[in-house]
Amino acid sequence: MHLDPDIADFIQGEVMIILGTCSRGKLPDIGRGVGCRVLAPGNTVEVLVSAWQWPETVANLRDTGEVAVTFVRVADYRAYQIKGRATLRDCTPQHYSLCNRYIAAATAALVDQGVPTAMTEMWLMPRDLVVAHFGIRSLSIKTPGADAGTLVGERR
Amino acid sequence: MAFQTSPISHVVLVDEEHVGLSNQFFATTAANLAENPHAAILLVDGTNGNQCRLRAVFVRTIFEGPLFSRMSSQLGASSSQVGMTGIMRLRGVDIFRVESVTLTPAPSPTPVTPPQREPLLTATAEMTRRLIAPGSSLDHAIDELLAWMRTSLGCDRAVVFMADHESRILTTAASLGYERSGVGSEIAFGSGIFGGAAATGETVKISDLSRTRRYGEAVRKSTRDENLTRTIAVPMDPDSLSQIAVPMIVHGELQGVLGAESRQRLAFTNVHESALIIAAQHLAALVALSEAQAEAPKTDRQFERPAAEPALPVIEVRHFQFDDSIFIAGDYIIKGIAGRLLNHILRVHLETGRLGFTNRELRLEASLRLPEFKDNLETRLLLLRRRLADKASPIQLVPVGRGEFLLQLKGRPVVVSAEGPRS
Repeated sequence: MHLDPDIADFIQGEVMIILGTCSRGKLPDIGRGVGCRVLAPGNTVEVLVSAWQWPETVANLRDTGEVAVTFVRVADYRAYQIKGRATLRDCTPQHYSLCNRYIAAATAALVDQGVPTAMTEMWLMPRDLVVAHFGIRSLSIKTPGADAGTLVGERR
Repeated sequence: MAFQTSPISHVVLVDEEHVGLSNQFFATTAANLAENPHAAILLVDGTNGNQCRLRAVFVRTIFEGPLFSRMSSQLGASSSQVGMTGIMRLRGVDIFRVESVTLTPAPSPTPVTPPQREPLLTATAEMTRRLIAPGSSLDHAIDELLAWMRTSLGCDRAVVFMADHESRILTTAASLGYERSGVGSEIAFGSGIFGGAAATGETVKISDLSRTRRYGEAVRKSTRDENLTRTIAVPMDPDSLSQIAVPMIVHGELQGVLGAESRQRLAFTNVHESALIIAAQHLAALVALSEAQAEAPKTDRQFERPAAEPALPVIEVRHFQFDDSIFIAGDYIIKGIAGRLLNHILRVHLETGRLGFTNRELRLEASLRLPEFKDNLETRLLLLRRRLADKASPIQLVPVGRGEFLLQLKGRPVVVSAEGPRS
């Protein structure tokens, strides 16, 4: 399925990125992403992950590829979740510069909320990046409220 | 997928092995957990940014109870802070058993310091919560408090005394750890450490009794046979080396004394003292409240004696008028106003067959000669009730609601009155 430009902009913005993954033995794990880009024509996503900070998440991405990525804006809790089956790709210089831009924007957004950079540096880690590359299988709303959990779209 | 990522769940520690996660709005969570009960939870330390990952297994969802209520109001408060009042209503608390905790690698690792835990403070808060729980009574509160003294303060021997200002006497309402409970025993204000706390209204602490007189006049006087002396032995340990007595005061008025003893030197620290003061103040307020709320039972329930049962054994009750002492089946029970009360209750029962009594009717009964100002009837009945229970007497008083009680008999009482001590 394809993302609306509005949602594509949202997930490529200064949002916090949380990855849920799953091992072969069905054990879930959780980790953070440090940048996202939506590839043309809008049905594929790349999420950057630090293999240094989140080794189990990267191992799960390699082993099963099953992933649910939640994007949440700290200012208002607007949130979406995208699911898919990822493959791992090597990180290119463009990915590194994307990561740097993302960390700068996300840090600014967190500082706006009163979070000190000493703390944001603990979460937004650009070390040993890998790229989770996946086609969008489903998109759902995760913003708290009546629509939370509503499926926006699903690939048939 | 067998996992769900929620950016705004609240996580609380339930006990040493379990955490609770707020479930606000995700209906899919239940379905996911039913399919796969395993979960990964990312926790962030709000003070330094440290992150850790819990591996946990879903146990159950709870929809009510103290934890649910606490989390619900906490969620309500934090939701209103972020402008989401009403949106993040708590649907349930998902309880997970934690299997492992892993610290997430960080660029500048901050030492993980365990949060400051004050188990005694937590236990004390829990105890005070139970003291004033709905449906709790003064009897229940006294038992809760003693249980807390044993388990949380490590007291081997502890006593709750009630104060009577008219006679300037402390009466033992309950105790723990003594060979004989001493319920109903008396200490004069000013006598020994407990009486001293009553007389001065100050906490008294003795940390090494080996250098002072071990036990007071009250103890020695009361070690003899109570059936002869009409004096119940005060619960005191002759081998104790540390003692503490904390007055129970509310609005400047002494309601009783909380006491503890230990065979260890320096057993009671300043922390013990502070905790006991919190407990004593709560109990003092409850005693005052029970006296203040004693009036107006909901109904004039009349418990009638069931059909006559002549086969029941006779319970011999002797009442000595000179000191109003009561003996049941040859055992000394109590004297003074409490003795008058019991004598009156039994006589009304024998005349009318009635088993149900209200505190109100006793308060209005002129023959009981209760003090007009502040009769302390609730406390007197509590002491009488606990003394009868302590003696496992065939005559018991059982509270059946605020300001009402029931006479419970394991036989047919026959009351004989005598004038002098030798009759």
